[in-house]
Amino acid sequence: MTTIADAAPGARTRNRWLKDAVGRRDGAAGLLLLDTLAAIGFAAGIAGGVTAVTEQGAVLPWALLMLGMGGLRALFASLASRRGAVEAGAVKRGQRLRAVAAMLHRKAGVPIDSGLLATQAVDAVEALDGYVARFLPARRAAAIAPMLVLGATACASWVSAVILAGTLLPFVAAMILAGGAAAEESRRQFVALHRLSARFADRVRTLPVVLAFRAETRETEAVGAAAQELAKRTMRVLRVAFLSSAALEFFAALSVALVAVYCGFALLGLLPVAVPETLTLGRGFFVLALAPEFYAPMRRLAAAYHDKQAAETAADTLMPTAASERAVSMAVAAPLILRDVAIQYPGSDAPAVSHLSLRIERGETVALLGPSGSGKTSVLHLLLGLAPLSAGTIEAGGAPLVSLAGQASWAGQHPLLIAGTIRENLLLADPQAKDLAIQRAVAAAGLGPMLATRPGGLDALLDARGSGLSGGERRRIALARALLSPAPFLLLDEPTAHLDAAAEAALIATIARAAPGRTTLIATHSPALAAIATRVVHLGTAI
Amino acid sequence: MTLHSLIAAERRRERRRLRQAGACAALVAIASVLLLALSGWFLTAAALAGGAGIVAAQAFNYMLPSAMIRLLAIVRTGARYGERLASHGAAFGALARLRPALYRAITVTPAPVALALGRGEATARLIGDVDAVEWRFVRLSGPWGVAAALASGAALTLLGGWLAMAATLTCVGVALGLARSWSHRLEEPGRAVQQAMGALREEVAMIGGSAAELRCFALEDWATARITAAGDRLAEAQARQAAVAARFEALHAVSVALAAASALVLSAGAGAAIAALAGLAAAMTVDSIAPLLRAMTENGRLHEAEARLNALFGAAEDGRPALGLPCEPNLAIDGGRFAPGSRIALTGPSGCGKTTLVEGLLGLRPLQHGRIMIGGQDAALLAPATLRAIFAWAPQDAALIAGTVRDNLRLADGHANEDRLWQVLQDAALDTVVRALPQGLDTWLGEDGARLSGGERRRLSLARAYLGDAPWLLLDEPGEGLDAAVADDVARRLDARLKRTGQGLILVSHRPVLSALCERQWMADLGARRSAA
Repeated sequence: MTTIADAAPGARTRNRWLKDAVGRRDGAAGLLLLDTLAAIGFAAGIAGGVTAVTEQGAVLPWALLMLGMGGLRALFASLASRRGAVEAGAVKRGQRLRAVAAMLHRKAGVPIDSGLLATQAVDAVEALDGYVARFLPARRAAAIAPMLVLGATACASWVSAVILAGTLLPFVAAMILAGGAAAEESRRQFVALHRLSARFADRVRTLPVVLAFRAETRETEAVGAAAQELAKRTMRVLRVAFLSSAALEFFAALSVALVAVYCGFALLGLLPVAVPETLTLGRGFFVLALAPEFYAPMRRLAAAYHDKQAAETAADTLMPTAASERAVSMAVAAPLILRDVAIQYPGSDAPAVSHLSLRIERGETVALLGPSGSGKTSVLHLLLGLAPLSAGTIEAGGAPLVSLAGQASWAGQHPLLIAGTIRENLLLADPQAKDLAIQRAVAAAGLGPMLATRPGGLDALLDARGSGLSGGERRRIALARALLSPAPFLLLDEPTAHLDAAAEAALIATIARAAPGRTTLIATHSPALAAIATRVVHLGTAI
Repeated sequence: MTLHSLIAAERRRERRRLRQAGACAALVAIASVLLLALSGWFLTAAALAGGAGIVAAQAFNYMLPSAMIRLLAIVRTGARYGERLASHGAAFGALARLRPALYRAITVTPAPVALALGRGEATARLIGDVDAVEWRFVRLSGPWGVAAALASGAALTLLGGWLAMAATLTCVGVALGLARSWSHRLEEPGRAVQQAMGALREEVAMIGGSAAELRCFALEDWATARITAAGDRLAEAQARQAAVAARFEALHAVSVALAAASALVLSAGAGAAIAALAGLAAAMTVDSIAPLLRAMTENGRLHEAEARLNALFGAAEDGRPALGLPCEPNLAIDGGRFAPGSRIALTGPSGCGKTTLVEGLLGLRPLQHGRIMIGGQDAALLAPATLRAIFAWAPQDAALIAGTVRDNLRLADGHANEDRLWQVLQDAALDTVVRALPQGLDTWLGEDGARLSGGERRRLSLARAYLGDAPWLLLDEPGEGLDAAVADDVARRLDARLKRTGQGLILVSHRPVLSALCERQWMADLGARRSAA
């Protein structure tokens, strides 16, 4: 669910952002204009047909023209829909890329939030779909198509064109008067409905506490009361919000009626005033058949209006994503020196880690030991530029450290597993790795016995959830991957958590054999794992 | 209760407005057909009369048709306004009762099913389904409009001969029939879009949860490419869906042209004025099925939404009858006995199942038989409602609801007065923070207490647990994210509160200052360790 910010940014900023995000795309709008041209052809066909009936001429050619134009309308309208979908796909691709890149290359200190990534890269980006596919082409066409209709009308009867144009003026005035208020009401209603859904989603999400406090009856009533309240308020709002569509409807019907009455009286020769044009039935009928097309583009635009509202809401979510900035990964050498380091995440009132001083020599294995919540993982994240350095300094090889990115390998408690072979999973660390290197890493991580029992060995297929792998096997795959990377630093985050005693002991022995040769930092709560380190640093809130 | 009976009940309840919407839709359709047909007839007849000389022109009754035309324009506008108002009114009225009924159904579904709805895509889909079902009410007036258009179209084209009428009705029939069969074909691309969307979300969740590995192995570009590829597959599926939906538009345009042309040709014998009337009436009759065609493109989605929601209603169970509160809520965990008012620290390494045990105590997941005894009865056999009356819980993730401070506290006790609210806030060392908020207790906190810091959220969750009137407090990591001084304060006030209320305490916390409050420790991992290797 995208949440609606209480203080929405200015409409102008938002519109500019949307404009930049979409770029210039005229394909679908162009097809809609062709559709209008075919409608003009259709009107000519029906007018010609009626004239032919009066003159006892051949009706069939005109009927065929009508069919042909109908076919063209079908073609252009459906092509416009398809083109719109393709253009929407392209815009969404660009925005998704931007949101993902900004999240992955984010600056240190921006908290890791996979929920936010989903909100931005999926929900908000998808909300742009209707805006690009339907609303924008409709808006562009609405600016030009009525002029085409007006031009065609003027060719047949310029008075009728003046009448149509004349209905446009009060329509625009009505839109400015009622439309502004109606648009505002309609946006408010959209927001209110969105909030109601968000509230419902929230109460489903927080169901554990609702159930635990036996508040289900009360919350059910609250859900009902909120919906009731919205229903009552909305009806008031809708009376105004539908005014603009009523105005559209009114002027669409009025333009047909006025054109019909004018043409009828002109053909009867009973017009109260003299007009300097002689109308024929063919021209009059053409104008009449075309009159509904004058407001059709605007009706299409009105029908796509909620797509615009959805896109504006999405823009508010997507706008704050900064352009991604890439950190340059550079060679980093031990020793690693942390002086009086503190890590405090934005919005939290206590530092996750404070006053940490540590010197790690080349090839050393250091264990960060402490209970969960003591900031062990934060220290590892700090070295990768994923956590903010709020006080103190970090140096590597005598120079200030920016990030160990590209210089370290990682194995954690929830390894990244992709659908594919075990080999592909290992190669993520080093796509160019030779077979021999893979064999060595597999052996060092103790994966051998597991691969021997698995059909296909290294080429056995895994799914994205790693189904069929035990916790220990996952960690060993992660460890093999980490060892495959030639990076000089090795970061291990709770590599033995959630394992039973035997599996933990076996994995600890493996790590003890594999770690030497690299500068290794292990975050763990397990004293047994910490025991293999050359040095143990205690983290924790000894209060 | 099933979803269908609920919807049927709503249709009955909203029948006044639905009838109104249907009548208005019918009026719109009739007015649209008549407006153009009459205009066409008027124009042609006027031309013929005008061509026959001034006498014929003078004799032509122009007042009635031209007045009718103007009247129809106004009727169409008013009826359309009325239709939209009535159908939206019905939809919102139904919404106000469907939502609570659905929420009720979710709360009585077995906890594992219900809790799974609270995660990521499940929630998004649930909301989408509810929307789909509600908006069907807006479209209920569609068939009325089509029926009225058909009736008036048939009557008008009949003036041009029964062949013209038959041609028009055939066009409508064939178009609707084709659309119906195509709407089944839309289901497959619709499902493909759903699947591609699910795959994209999964990819995003996987990438979002692997930040450290991506950094280390410089896999950011690889990850971006993966998400982009999943997005491309989604766009491809959406494009295929759009291609099928575009057929409906083509169908509409072709059938309008076909009906108009054939009605015109077939009624040529009835004279030009009638032929003009029949041609335009046929066009408008077929044009009126547009809303129905649009609705058909949504049918597959609606059916799936209904099926999913119906499954929720089906899964709802009445539950075991709640036994009365055991008079002596003494507790035994794995054989260890604790009298009411004891203070127990649940210990064990992280991941050994402390939180699992806590959630089991609250009936949020199944408990192992015989592990926990309450008042001499096996807790695994007690009704969730009974268990939840025994424990007041502060969960590990704080879990605040979107609302005000008061909304959050009132979750634990809907009738608590002002004094009690401030008392529990004070006991959780949060009273000064809340006093400093712009609207105090009524300050809107946003989703999951977004306005508060991590430590404040936790203390609000703690205050909420204090407000629950239960013999045992169940606190899961209440000290996390608190700085030393605040943790000290929280512990001191908790101690004082427990002395005052005589409540028992079950505490999961790694902070010594809090666990020091407990006189007994209990290792939670006896027998609970899963075999993981």
